[in-house]
Amino acid sequence: MSTLVGSEFLKLRTTRGWIGYVLALVILSGIGAAAQVGTALEFERDSPEFRLDLLSSSVTAGLIAFLVGITSVTVEFRHGTITRTLLVTPRRERVVVAKELAGFLLGAALAVLAIAVVLAVAIPYLSAEGAAFELDSGVAARIGRLVLAAALWGALGVAVGALLQKQTVALVVAILWIFLGEALIGALLGLADLEDVADFLPGQALGALDGSVEDRFSPALGGALALAWVTVLGALGYLRVRRRDIT
Amino acid sequence: MIEVERLTKRFGSTLAVDNLSFSVAPGTITGFLGPNGAGKSTTLRSILGLVHPNAGSTAVLGKPYRELERPLERVGAVLETSDAHPGRSGRNQLRVLAAAAGLPRSRVDEVLALVELTGAARRRVKGYSLGMRQRLGLAAALLGDPEVLVLDEPANGLDPQGIRWLRDLLRSFARDGRTVLVSSHVLAEVAQTVDEVVIIHRGRLVRHATMAEVEAMAAGFARVRSPEAERLASLLTQAGFESRSFGDGTLAVAAAPEQVGELAAAHGIVLHELAVERATLEEVFLELTGAEVG
Repeated sequence: MSTLVGSEFLKLRTTRGWIGYVLALVILSGIGAAAQVGTALEFERDSPEFRLDLLSSSVTAGLIAFLVGITSVTVEFRHGTITRTLLVTPRRERVVVAKELAGFLLGAALAVLAIAVVLAVAIPYLSAEGAAFELDSGVAARIGRLVLAAALWGALGVAVGALLQKQTVALVVAILWIFLGEALIGALLGLADLEDVADFLPGQALGALDGSVEDRFSPALGGALALAWVTVLGALGYLRVRRRDIT
Repeated sequence: MIEVERLTKRFGSTLAVDNLSFSVAPGTITGFLGPNGAGKSTTLRSILGLVHPNAGSTAVLGKPYRELERPLERVGAVLETSDAHPGRSGRNQLRVLAAAAGLPRSRVDEVLALVELTGAARRRVKGYSLGMRQRLGLAAALLGDPEVLVLDEPANGLDPQGIRWLRDLLRSFARDGRTVLVSSHVLAEVAQTVDEVVIIHRGRLVRHATMAEVEAMAAGFARVRSPEAERLASLLTQAGFESRSFGDGTLAVAAAPEQVGELAAAHGIVLHELAVERATLEEVFLELTGAEVG
């Protein structure tokens, strides 16, 4: 399995798309961190809440991991490389699991990178402003949650990619879902007095995990829910991949 | 070595492969022939576990492809030119496969040299010609040094030198006792390479024959015209030669012209014409596949 995961990373590395994703992540995280420090009031800058908000500038890593996870599957159908992939590994469950693992690891790596950028921008900026950034246990816990959430976003992307398979459809559905779909469903559920149900949606669950959403779920419960989504959608995606005739 | 057993595959309402059975013996090069749309690619993809048959089964080296351990080291395949990411270099394409198959990276450079693609290896596939893509596909097929090769129209896009190069490659491959199944819609393209042919049409088996048998079909017949055609025909039948009358005093006889002439002379039959008709391989092929159409 580790050779398969390795080949998935090699696939990502040997096309040019990843440079754009990494650049976008670095720029957005850096700008986000700088903007947070720049707009914060002086008395806020030393507060624990501010430090956590600052770390949230790295949540873009989750979004990018989600999109890369999707395309890691759909690009194979788009360019026909799935043929060669399945000739090497005819047991399709192994291919899907390898991609899930690669998506998970990639998400974690992107989050680590984004947090590193945030800290690299924020710490010198804060000290220049006469404030300090303390790496206390609250910060460490939040970093762990952000990394885990981005990893799950990556795995969720692979599941969605396997389920939808067509690249354009999958990306459009994914982006609409993140920026509109969940909010819309939340609002509709609210009309029916079922707004609590919206907390179970994948974006909300991952938000509870990484701290970007205030809801009634603990980070652990949010993480467990997100893992359940990854498992269910991944299994459905696998079933679609297994059934498909590669022509 | 390769077995196809009562294979049937439908795509929607289209019956692509219809109860097809054949087998390919080890150490032979078998041509898999049929017009475009005959079901060749679907059959090959079923053999390789990419397409799910509606009925029947396939096996390579005694097992369904999906159950092979380290399949790249058992079976190599070239299916179509569009199985490479355009943004990846040829070499990286192969590195990805080698990594997934657990093969050493040095093997990538070996097969690139083998298909004479070393010079273009670091260029992106986007800029490759059709022939270069075919060579890259062959390199991927040869990566695991397999015992069996399955090739779908590998000559497409190759220039005449390329076709000769491919022929030599397949021959040396078979000389080592390995097995090749190569599809084509042009019999002449593979005639000089293959030992046997499996001809299909509309998803059904038309003929499984050795190349010698196909050449015998193309060996031709004697055309003879005589005012006593009917008497000649019955004498030929008695002598053990098949003949067919065209009704205008012309017979087509499955015999050498010498044999026809001598028989006619022995019985005092006047001949107005005696000639050899030779069919091309392509005519034999068209006749075989056309026979099913009517």
